[in-house]
Amino acid sequence: MNLEAVKLAAANNVWSAIFPEMMLGCIALLLLVLEMLLPPKHHEVIPDVAAAGLFGTLIGLIINWHPIWIGSETFNGLIRHTEAGQVMRGFFLTSALLVCLLARLTLRRQAMPRIEFYHIVLVVTAAMMLLAQSNHFVMLFVALETLTIGLYILVSYFRTSTASLEAGLKYLLMGALSSGMLLFGIVLLYGVAGNPTLPAQSTQPLHYPELARFLAANPHHFLASLGIVFILAGVAFKIGAFPFQIWVPDVYQGAPTPVTAFLAVASKGAGFAVLLALCGAHGVFSAYAWLTTPILTAMAAATILFGNIAALTQHNVKRLIGLSGVSHAGFLILGVVASQTVPMAVGAIYFYLFAYLIASFAVFGVMSHLAGADDSDQELEHYSGLAKDSPFLATVLAVGLGSLAGIPPLAGFMGKLFVLMAAFQSGARWLLAIAALGVVISIYYYFGWIKAAFFETWTPPAESGGAPARPARTSVAPSTGLLLGALALASIALGFYQGPWGEWLARP
Amino acid sequence: MTIGQILFNLFALFTLVMAAGVVLNKNAVNAALCLLLCLVGVAGLFVGLNAYLLAFLLLLVYAGAIVALFLFIVMLLDTRGDARPTLNRLPLVARILATGLILGGVASFLQRGRLVSPDIAGTVGVGAALKPYAYQLFTTYLLPVQILGFLLLIAMLGVIVLSKKFVGMEDIK
Repeated sequence: MNLEAVKLAAANNVWSAIFPEMMLGCIALLLLVLEMLLPPKHHEVIPDVAAAGLFGTLIGLIINWHPIWIGSETFNGLIRHTEAGQVMRGFFLTSALLVCLLARLTLRRQAMPRIEFYHIVLVVTAAMMLLAQSNHFVMLFVALETLTIGLYILVSYFRTSTASLEAGLKYLLMGALSSGMLLFGIVLLYGVAGNPTLPAQSTQPLHYPELARFLAANPHHFLASLGIVFILAGVAFKIGAFPFQIWVPDVYQGAPTPVTAFLAVASKGAGFAVLLALCGAHGVFSAYAWLTTPILTAMAAATILFGNIAALTQHNVKRLIGLSGVSHAGFLILGVVASQTVPMAVGAIYFYLFAYLIASFAVFGVMSHLAGADDSDQELEHYSGLAKDSPFLATVLAVGLGSLAGIPPLAGFMGKLFVLMAAFQSGARWLLAIAALGVVISIYYYFGWIKAAFFETWTPPAESGGAPARPARTSVAPSTGLLLGALALASIALGFYQGPWGEWLARP
Repeated sequence: MTIGQILFNLFALFTLVMAAGVVLNKNAVNAALCLLLCLVGVAGLFVGLNAYLLAFLLLLVYAGAIVALFLFIVMLLDTRGDARPTLNRLPLVARILATGLILGGVASFLQRGRLVSPDIAGTVGVGAALKPYAYQLFTTYLLPVQILGFLLLIAMLGVIVLSKKFVGMEDIK
């Protein structure tokens, strides 16, 4: 090992290229310092610092949208800066900001330490941003573990509630299993691609371009295809795709509502950023499309059907939205399948993700506001008569759910339309039929929720009945109202004008 | 077959037997000790592959520290071996399906997973010596090392949040 090579490798660590992630790390540390230094009665400003930091980082990212590193690799190939990476950075920052704002509603009802929650959210967000830009399996795994371990803690954060602890334990066990599968896959690929007896073997088999070169030279290697299947299984766990969706309902129900939103939106987005980098048109596994396309196609069909049919029978709204999230994952996998042949599908996936983010947070915002002290106990019946008590909340809920269901002219409809258009162009006709069936089924349960809010009246349970009363309704604080209104308006506006995403869709 | 290959196969067999022991043992302390021996077997495999540093780290960190921690926790909890849930309640179809899948997977792996390996004695493993490893860690892989620092920090915070007694929470409220 000579000194010049070491110096060269060190010089390739361009820290300014990951400035947004470093900002988040510094703000996270600042929160802990503030908690130590400030007297306890001033502690309520600390969540504001976290939210302001996220907002500032997001603004900074938008201002410097085209840094000079776009299209190049830094950190000796660990990170690759792309436009898609910038989009995902913005996606994670937006969802983390909204999670912090929702957490202020939810954490207020619990006697819990607060600051650590925001700290972990910030670190997890930075890890997601790096994950979306990773260009090397070592980077991918380290970022993924940071994100997953942070989420284990966040899921079981309300430790006085048994539901939250149960959810945390289930998520831990399932997450460990999925990480194990992912590692098995990575190790198999590493071993095969580093074998000197095979053509195009590499000394850096975990680096995406090197691995892609190796896979292109050995397009039907058994061990490599086994590794790819293992990696796909590990990623499918994270996005909650069938048959790896088993953890979704319990974990979504038990986790604190803001964390459920974080899991449903940001964690799923991170999984899809990885899936696109691996299985997209120019992805690492593109030489193995003969293997990935049938797997992903079957997975998409099964995920859409399973998520929607399972959601039909749910009464707990957190379980319902979790299972409906499974079906949304199915739609996004459909987009990934289409993106292997149709370039427009990539833009469709990003638009779908943003539409899903806005609609989900509108619904989760209403849920956070209406939830009582027991965060896992949020039933459909609790929503009856909402339109009479608070027309504003009911409208926001209806817009959010309508967008999730894909009712024109809301953003969710356009997202579904773009993904289905891409799938149509790629020739997966029978998948289109399944997707359309899924949309029809989903309208039933989304409208069941809207019906409860608009057309049913609340009857308090009989004294003898064991069912507890619903949590008391309070008036909406102006800041919460502003946030929810903005999300609902964005859902409507994005349905009419897709802005920069529309430009992306029109690209050849 | 050279002596190195024979030793490698012996260690592989030993590791597998001990791994089965971890799963099948009813007594948690015995299972943890089987895990310890399983890790020793894996360390032996690493030595056979010239990855001395990895073997040493595995013994030091996993066998030395983590299994000792497991044993402490097992003894603190004082678990009884008979409290284990049985798997007999699985439907017959599921059992046949799972067995078939596992056997099919192993069979296809044995049949098609052959890889012509180069002479392992001739190649020097990446994890063979400390110095090149450390150089790599602090140049090429500096970013993952930094992220792991944050990972450990949030893990520590998580332990505190999930296990500490809430004292003086009224002030914060």
